Amino acid sequence: MTSQSNRLRDGGLIDRAKTVRFSFDGETLTGYQGDTLASALLANGKKLVGRSFKYHRPRGILTAGSEEPNALVELRTGARREPNTRATTIELYDGLEAASQNRWPSLKFDVMAVNQLFAPIFGAGFYYKTFMWPASFWEKVYEPAIRRAAGLGRAASAPDPDHYDKAHAFCDVLVIGSGPAGLATALEAARAGARVILAEEDFRLGGRLLAERYEIDGKPALDWVRAAEEELASLDCRILRRTTVFGVYDGGTYAAIERVNDHVKLPPAHEPRQRLWKIVARQAVVAAGAIERPIVFGDNDRPGIMLAGAVRTYVNRYGVTPGRRAVVFTDNDDAFQTAVDLADHGVEVVAMVDARAMPSVKAKEIAAKAKAPYFANSVVQRVRGRQAVKSVDIAAPNGEVHRIDCDLLAMSGGWNPTLHLTTHLNGKPVWNADLSALVPGALPPGMSVAGASAGQFGLAACLASGRLAGTEAAKACGFKPKRHKAPKAADESTEASPVWQVETSRGKAFVDFQNDVTISDIKLAAREGFRVPEHLKRYTTLGMATDQGKTGNLNGAAVLANVTGRYVGAVGTTTFRPPFTPVAISALAGHHRGPDFRPARLAPSHKWAEEQGAVFVETGPWLRALYYPRAGESPQDSVNREVANVRTQVGVCDVSTLGKIEVQGTDAGVFLDRVYANTFSTLPVGKARYGLMLREDGFVMDDGTTARLAEDRYFMTTTTANAVKVMQHLEFCQQVLWPELDVQLVSVTEQWAQYAVAGPRARDVLQRLVDPGHDISNEAFPYLACGEINVCGGVPARLYRLSFSGELAYEIGVPARYGDALIRAIMMEGAAFGIQPYGTEALGVLRIEKGHPAGGELNGQTTAHDLGFGKLLSAKKDFIGRFMAARPVLADANREKFVGLRPLDREARIRAGAHLVPKDAEATAKNDQGYVTSIAYSPSLGHWLALGMLARGPERHGEVVRAVDPLRGEEVLAEVVPPCFVDPEGERLRV
Amino acid sequence: MSRPLASVSGLAGLTVPGSYGAKVGELGVTIAERTGLGIATVAACKGKSEALKAAARKAYGVELPERSIVASGRDILFIGTGPGQWLAVSEKYANEELARELAGRLQGLASVADQSGGRTVIRISGPRARDVLAKGLPIDLDPRVFPSNGAATSTISLMGVQLWQADDTPAYELAIFRSLSGSFWRWLAASAAEFGYEVKPG
Repeated sequence: MTSQSNRLRDGGLIDRAKTVRFSFDGETLTGYQGDTLASALLANGKKLVGRSFKYHRPRGILTAGSEEPNALVELRTGARREPNTRATTIELYDGLEAASQNRWPSLKFDVMAVNQLFAPIFGAGFYYKTFMWPASFWEKVYEPAIRRAAGLGRAASAPDPDHYDKAHAFCDVLVIGSGPAGLATALEAARAGARVILAEEDFRLGGRLLAERYEIDGKPALDWVRAAEEELASLDCRILRRTTVFGVYDGGTYAAIERVNDHVKLPPAHEPRQRLWKIVARQAVVAAGAIERPIVFGDNDRPGIMLAGAVRTYVNRYGVTPGRRAVVFTDNDDAFQTAVDLADHGVEVVAMVDARAMPSVKAKEIAAKAKAPYFANSVVQRVRGRQAVKSVDIAAPNGEVHRIDCDLLAMSGGWNPTLHLTTHLNGKPVWNADLSALVPGALPPGMSVAGASAGQFGLAACLASGRLAGTEAAKACGFKPKRHKAPKAADESTEASPVWQVETSRGKAFVDFQNDVTISDIKLAAREGFRVPEHLKRYTTLGMATDQGKTGNLNGAAVLANVTGRYVGAVGTTTFRPPFTPVAISALAGHHRGPDFRPARLAPSHKWAEEQGAVFVETGPWLRALYYPRAGESPQDSVNREVANVRTQVGVCDVSTLGKIEVQGTDAGVFLDRVYANTFSTLPVGKARYGLMLREDGFVMDDGTTARLAEDRYFMTTTTANAVKVMQHLEFCQQVLWPELDVQLVSVTEQWAQYAVAGPRARDVLQRLVDPGHDISNEAFPYLACGEINVCGGVPARLYRLSFSGELAYEIGVPARYGDALIRAIMMEGAAFGIQPYGTEALGVLRIEKGHPAGGELNGQTTAHDLGFGKLLSAKKDFIGRFMAARPVLADANREKFVGLRPLDREARIRAGAHLVPKDAEATAKNDQGYVTSIAYSPSLGHWLALGMLARGPERHGEVVRAVDPLRGEEVLAEVVPPCFVDPEGERLRV
Repeated sequence: MSRPLASVSGLAGLTVPGSYGAKVGELGVTIAERTGLGIATVAACKGKSEALKAAARKAYGVELPERSIVASGRDILFIGTGPGQWLAVSEKYANEELARELAGRLQGLASVADQSGGRTVIRISGPRARDVLAKGLPIDLDPRVFPSNGAATSTISLMGVQLWQADDTPAYELAIFRSLSGSFWRWLAASAAEFGYEVKPG
């Protein structure tokens, strides 16, 4: 165990009484409560943290925030292993395990670092240009090889064992960021009485105040932060720490991810690891601060080179110095404060290098205070040291080069407002020449910006703009804010004039660290014509890494501007899109994983069917019993037995999943006449009828049976799959097309448990269930009769004599709460008659044997005439689809029409989806005359049969065609026959 | 002959009374199924709205609401679910009885359909009830926005739900589709666990 060699003697917002043990690449280290993984690694003198994406360059820690491009590690192990997490945002916890990534065999000695030697050929567009030929090699050879060489971390291979939550929140004012501007905003809004949500990415409130040594009201700024936090807690303000607002959506909707338990080894029992918030806010204030820019110079990616603001964060917030001999290289005044903060902690500042042509008075003052040599109008033009900075060469304006030994280079190219959220709804940032930065442009409705996000860089300016934003947001929500005393603070000097890049430097000069994009890549892209940032991005991958180029994009624009002779503002930047920082897929899924991927609707007999060992299938949102296998039976055996039992004895099937709609009102009959192609107003009470519904365009929409229970009351059924669609269609007709009709619609799908009892013994079974006094004989209750009855001693029920199987059959419905008991009762009473349950597979076989069209045939491309239902199209009334169904193309005699197909070789199996071509014609698209829609093995006939759509089909009964399945390479000769294979006269269902 | 048929809840086997989830501090949520309720949809016939309202006033002493709120009548709650549409809920007129009662009284004025078997009604109450519901319900239940007699037709975790506030404990009652009882219960148990919850007998 190494000691924390780089921990400062005092200071920092860490709890030195609480030592935290963690491991990095297997080495056990310690840090303190309040550390991040990055600060703890630095405290232990660990500078080398990872290898870069393409060149496998040694990389250290560049930043202290979520913009980190370099220090990406694998966090945790096993099923909880998470790749590409930023060490700068990982809160240290006892037992934390992290590993560097993208290196083999070790971080210090990485074989793939050889890529650097080939760097000249790995330029922008390299992959596209090199691996062009042969094309077939791309998927099999090139891509896997490239992915191995140029990957980042490894995702866990086992399912995530943790729970992830989703939640909705509502507020008047959402404040994004809790730095000085955000806190001031939240205070003003909450004081005015607004409901406030304050979201802070960090685990502590304060933002930049945590990293600087500012004063507010003459006291340390952190006192003000503490007071603000207390006051907010007493007001209507929900403070979400560890929460990143990562996306902005329409209607004032914001997405945020709360890392509820990422800062502990394991989430406590019953708690989620992360929570995805959907926040609806009337007003939102983006006070997300600013991100510091690196300077682009040779080997600017060496471990030990860090952003100046980050150095201050490590020194002031974490009590850690990233080095012992520091050089500060910058083009702005702000960064020189780093020298003071380091010097005050006894760290030697060996040079202050100011790239600006004009020396800064402020900088000179600071140099004197920090006792550091000041190099005006100079640049760092060379860095020595591969795995850690050893020295730098400073080029002075007179041509002299000073080699200075150092182990820390703090750099700063100025600050960019963190404006990403302002662009998610397509807002374009605008160039601010005074700040040399892009600032938010037009904002989405309800959003404002404050503090550094708005380009207000000084502390006093941040506080003032936050106060204003908070007041205005509260006013916009209808509150009347009172005036409160303003906190007093000074504005530090933020004078800057960016140099962007050092033209004279040696070595690879990185613009985008995470994707290894260098100046030369951008120059190459510009030479090849990619001169717009969006094109440059795609060609070089600049800004396409998981950090979305937070530190690199504007520098890239500056390089492009330089090459193409424009100014940076004219080049601009690419559009930022959600998420602001990476979001785990698990968090987006939340509860919807595994069996809860989506809700499952269970039929009333589900529990009973489970007890019977049924195999279930998803049909739309429902789980239905597919078949009920007995011991030793194959699925086919089971289905064959179930079908045969219906044909010879009696079976029962849960048909509760069919859509059921009550159509009531004095105009119910008229309404049905208009939505169905056939007539229902003439249907007598106590009768049911098959109904065919067309779409407006004349094609078949759905079918089902509708029963008339009373003069003004019909009970409609739809197919399971189309239940919702049909209900929507009917509601549209009722509310929009014919609001004058007295008709009321309500879905009662859930209310009725409905069972089909089918087979020659069906009546025998029913008679034992129906209460005395109800005559269900063939005479009293013939085919297509329906009625309200009582069963099993007074339970209200509805009985329909309907048959999908072609056998004597009934459907019986009871309120769903009796569904479980009724299926058990049916089975018990039916035992004497050989009853067996049958599933949807048998149901399908039975209807194919009978030639009833279903899902495969009602496929949205077939008309009533195609399906042989032409006679159902009423000529006496108007109905939806009537006019369009008469279009010549739909009346074309050559259309594909519904037929049955019987294989000539009775052992052969026709395949669903096979194409039908004439017997002697070639199997080409030109000769394609139709297709197979449904197939089944018919236990009744002892061979496979099929239904299909065939050009002029009904005229071709008896002809032999080829059913060609190019997918499986099979073909079968089949005879075209009428679609009904069993009992074509329909005698059995009328007995 | 199989009689009588047993009435089985959509939550049968799932709602086992007891304490579940985190056991820290105050109990967050209490969950109970409300069984045996009469539930029916009521839809005004064309041009009969005023007559229907008068009939409801006379029969149940209730003003049928035109908004998404609950109106308590004698022995029946009426929840506005759309223009001229209500969900009626009753303890007194249990199960199928409510639809019969309403159809009789409102004959010619409204179409009534029994839904008592097709809904599972769950009561969620306690200090964290709103936090639990916020995990699925995209509706603001804050008292400043949602009145104490408020009601909503919405979705929770991709499942349709009708919800109304029962009291200011706060307690909410949710009617969900019976077939989704199991999926809903898994969402509820997962969402309430971090606050600690107690399942009470229905």
